[in-house]
Amino acid sequence: MKKYLYMFIATLALASVAWATESQIWGEMRIQNILGYGQEESLKLGVLFTFLQSKYFAWIFLAVLIGVPTVFFVHYKLVGPKVFPHSHKKHYAFNLFHRTVHQIAAISFLVLVPTGFIIVFGDFFGGGTLVRMAKNLHGIFTIPFAIVVIPMALMWLKEALFNFEDVKWFMILGGYLSKEKQIINATQFNAGQKMWYWVAILGGITMILSGAMMFFLDFKMEMLHNLTGLSQIDLLRVAAIVHNVMGFAVVALFITHVYMSMFAIKGAVNSIITGYVEEEEVKFLHNAWYKKLKEKGKF
Amino acid sequence: MMEYARMKFYCDESRCIECDGCSIACAEAHELPVGISRRKVITINEGIPGKEFSTSVACMHCTDAPCEQVCPVDCFYIREDGIVLHDKEKCIGCGYCLYACPFGAPQFPRDGAFGAKGAMDKCTMCAGGPLETNSEKERHLYGQNRIAEGKVPLCAAMCSTKALLVGDAQSVSNIFRARVAARGKGANAPYGWDKAYKNQ
Repeated sequence: MKKYLYMFIATLALASVAWATESQIWGEMRIQNILGYGQEESLKLGVLFTFLQSKYFAWIFLAVLIGVPTVFFVHYKLVGPKVFPHSHKKHYAFNLFHRTVHQIAAISFLVLVPTGFIIVFGDFFGGGTLVRMAKNLHGIFTIPFAIVVIPMALMWLKEALFNFEDVKWFMILGGYLSKEKQIINATQFNAGQKMWYWVAILGGITMILSGAMMFFLDFKMEMLHNLTGLSQIDLLRVAAIVHNVMGFAVVALFITHVYMSMFAIKGAVNSIITGYVEEEEVKFLHNAWYKKLKEKGKF
Repeated sequence: MMEYARMKFYCDESRCIECDGCSIACAEAHELPVGISRRKVITINEGIPGKEFSTSVACMHCTDAPCEQVCPVDCFYIREDGIVLHDKEKCIGCGYCLYACPFGAPQFPRDGAFGAKGAMDKCTMCAGGPLETNSEKERHLYGQNRIAEGKVPLCAAMCSTKALLVGDAQSVSNIFRARVAARGKGANAPYGWDKAYKNQ
């Protein structure tokens, strides 16, 4: 973990040093940056970025922003929420450390996602001060998330590894398509939660790195050029494309995560606030975990 | 309706002597901050005999400008004479225009909060911005508006070898053709024309 932390700090340090030294974009490097544009043997990243950003990115974000909540609204109306009694026995599953890490990530996301949308639909908001502020907040709230993402990855890693039961979970979509309460043989995290874990952690780190590249812009990292053979502007183009595409997945699953915890399973969100999970919820939705806890004499 | 001429830049590669005068004239005329140069002289194929040439690049004011297409806040506008300008008060300094630009023209002074990128700066073809023409504020944000005064953009006006030209497409083409005919070689379009003007 320390290794990653050092690597992250080193990245930031290198980037700030780069400001003081020769520009990687407009100085001598400018020739290298612009000569390859659109040529046959190049990846045509400039053309690709222009095409995607001008024609698709904003529309896909709009589709995610409207489509995902619409699907859940219909689900809520047709299938309805799963309601479990909250008066039964409880199990203390999330300690203060778990909850603090989760809450810092949660607050970061609650700022990052809306400000990201304000930037994407910047023309709708008329640009200027409001959108500029959103851009600055988008950068600032990356810092708390960057601090907790590695601890969060480590603390839930064991529970987030996929197993054979997860295939069955996906086949019936966790039983969320039926009104009946079914016994789902999931461990502490079901396959959906595991999927969110990987998108939030790996996707989140990808977002941090690609976002940092775009924020620092004129940084110098020989390693990246040697590794990819790309010029500085091409690296930035890759970062912008990756940041947007990964953004679709992160936002879609973030909305899903909020819907599941707040609406689909009534009151499930309380478990990450108080740390206590309800016996009935665990028994039905995480039966494998329930059996294990029972053996240990919990509940 | 009045037909507007299409304004173009043309840098004659066999005339450019890499004196950097255009770049300095531009920076002085528009009182640009240190570290920003809207125009830059580059030497391509340096050291390769017969292939080496210098040219002056800035914003080329492209046809269907890619910067205008990708801007998330839609701060660009294209004048009827083809000059691509932008509104610095709308710009959020995201950098997307730089990624779209074939010439690396957009630059970002770091004057925003927490060292964030400030509003983008680029060549205006000496045509200012969306503010009141020749107002103090326009001059401060975008530099001189020489076009409004009926003057030639300064970089081309001061070019000692007359390598760098700017003007309506027809006049520029006529001079280009005349020079090629006189030299009897170099009929290829100058660097950047394929990307900026689609060779039209």
